[in-house]
Amino acid sequence: MPPGSDSPAGDRPAGDRLAADRPEPGQPEEVFRLHPLTPIALGGKILGVLVLVTLLGLVDGTGSGKTAVIWRTAIFGGVAVLLVLRGVIVVFVTSYHLLGGELRIDSGLLQKQSKRVRLNRVQSVDVLEPLSARIFGLAEVKVTTAGSQRASIRLRFLAAPVAHQLRADLLARSSGTTDQAPEAPERPLLRVPHQQLVRAQLLQLVSWRLLLLAIGPVLAVVGNNNGHNGTAIVGVSLFISLGLALLLTLWRQINTFWDFTVGDTVDGLRIRHGLLSTSRQTVPPGRIQAVLIHQPLSWRPFGWAQVRMNVAGYGRSDSSGHQTVLIPVADKDYAEAFVGWLLGGVDLAHVPLTRPPRRAALRVPGWWRYELAGANDRLFVARHGMLSRTIDVVPHERTQSLRLTAGPWQRALGLATVRLDSTRGPVKTRAAHRDATEAREMLDRQIDRARAARQARQVG
Amino acid sequence: MCGLGGRFGHVSGDAFATPTGTTWSRVSPRLATMRRWLLVVALLPLAGLVVGLAFASGIAAVVVAAAGVVVLAWAWTAVGRNLRSWGYLERDDDLLVTHGAAFKKLTVVPYGRMQLVDVKAGPIERGFGLVRVKLHTAAATTDAEVCGLTPDVAEALRDRLTALGEAHAAGL
Repeated sequence: MPPGSDSPAGDRPAGDRLAADRPEPGQPEEVFRLHPLTPIALGGKILGVLVLVTLLGLVDGTGSGKTAVIWRTAIFGGVAVLLVLRGVIVVFVTSYHLLGGELRIDSGLLQKQSKRVRLNRVQSVDVLEPLSARIFGLAEVKVTTAGSQRASIRLRFLAAPVAHQLRADLLARSSGTTDQAPEAPERPLLRVPHQQLVRAQLLQLVSWRLLLLAIGPVLAVVGNNNGHNGTAIVGVSLFISLGLALLLTLWRQINTFWDFTVGDTVDGLRIRHGLLSTSRQTVPPGRIQAVLIHQPLSWRPFGWAQVRMNVAGYGRSDSSGHQTVLIPVADKDYAEAFVGWLLGGVDLAHVPLTRPPRRAALRVPGWWRYELAGANDRLFVARHGMLSRTIDVVPHERTQSLRLTAGPWQRALGLATVRLDSTRGPVKTRAAHRDATEAREMLDRQIDRARAARQARQVG
Repeated sequence: MCGLGGRFGHVSGDAFATPTGTTWSRVSPRLATMRRWLLVVALLPLAGLVVGLAFASGIAAVVVAAAGVVVLAWAWTAVGRNLRSWGYLERDDDLLVTHGAAFKKLTVVPYGRMQLVDVKAGPIERGFGLVRVKLHTAAATTDAEVCGLTPDVAEALRDRLTALGEAHAAGL
């Protein structure tokens, strides 16, 4: 029983078709089918490996007898064919219908499924080009809604130009117009220089994980000196595998965030990045729920920071956290100015912040000085962290629920923590270890501010 | 969260009180009855151990039994404290929920932010005629749940909340 029609979950079960939801007749329905090359792109890496193995087997199978070659080829080739066949069926049975302010997806071979998405509930539209698809000139369109289940709809794959047109179309329809819309013109805001990105990612490797890297050589030296060859070998292989893992992480980050640009369009913020696999996200205005500016310890000497955001629906499908990155690296002052601009032209430095009382030192020695929090009439801002630093920013009209918590140790000291709940994502805002009475006042004020902001938004 | 977390300690603390002039709606005492039954069931193996030990060594049996009694007495009162810590208050624009005796918690859910109100009950709760009401918002960390309600109270609360949610709906 969703209270009100405003539940952001746009998709409904197929049976639940309200007459009121039907778009007016007479509007043209646009039907999309997946690109015929989809099965190959979907198979991606696995398919590539299978084909390679099969071919190699055919070429260099002379030594090991004919039947072995035939078997090997049949098994690997068979799996590859099955993979492609599955993809072909998916392409064959799936169709996308764009009608009025609604996107409908029909799929399923035996069990038919029909899923509908109300486009005014869309939280973001992304065009992704993984390498396996990019080779064939294909792209995925990913529509994120804030629904409680299956938050994103992935159209895999369409021809790249079709995908871009569909993105523009979906965004235009989500904001109300249903005409064929050209891609909205873009005002470039920022581009992360390659050099800065690479250096920042290298610096990010400088962390406690490097200590793990030292275990290998230590084992090797100790093992070698004591004549334990086994230990030495374990040490060397540990070093190599950990080193490779680190390099792989580095490569992934650089590959993902290469050529990172942010632009401003009427459709919303447009975020583009990627070296081999590219991604273009569009987040419509007002869909950003909360933002954080994070400075890892190793970046602080350079004054760099990262900006990440909460967008409803993103947190669920995004295990790697790449989707929530708004700026992978930028100067901290720029990042603060950017976030201030993004959230309605507020100077973050001028938001009055307070600090926990001195006795909080008994609960968090040292760190208590770095738990600043406060609000102005638009935003709630919290700065915390002694070594790495984080600034959390939540607009009042985006706060969900609020909490006041206190553990036994805190209560013995008369302290309490205020927490602001936002949608799932990297930003978790709190004013920690406040004086209990002050914390309650802060909570009550925050409730009032959030209510006023919601009402102002509904009137305006 | 409806678990047994935060049940140790005493109920007090001004920061977690209701606004002046209002009082918490309390949950059914049957919640404590249920938890005490669960407690007794959980301690049954200990009783078995005591009986077994009595044949082997009288002193050990007495020691274990005494420890069991102490644990039981302490947990018994802790359940009572936890019961008294639960409370909810329907205000004009939001619902306040509090619980926890040692780890105190006060959650404020604006009606305009509610997406879903759930009434549910586990098999044991159902046996004791209890249900819980859970409020969902777009935030995953919202954990506003009132447990230990009787079904009629819970359904009335759900209906009121749903109506209020519709009246206040603010989208995201």
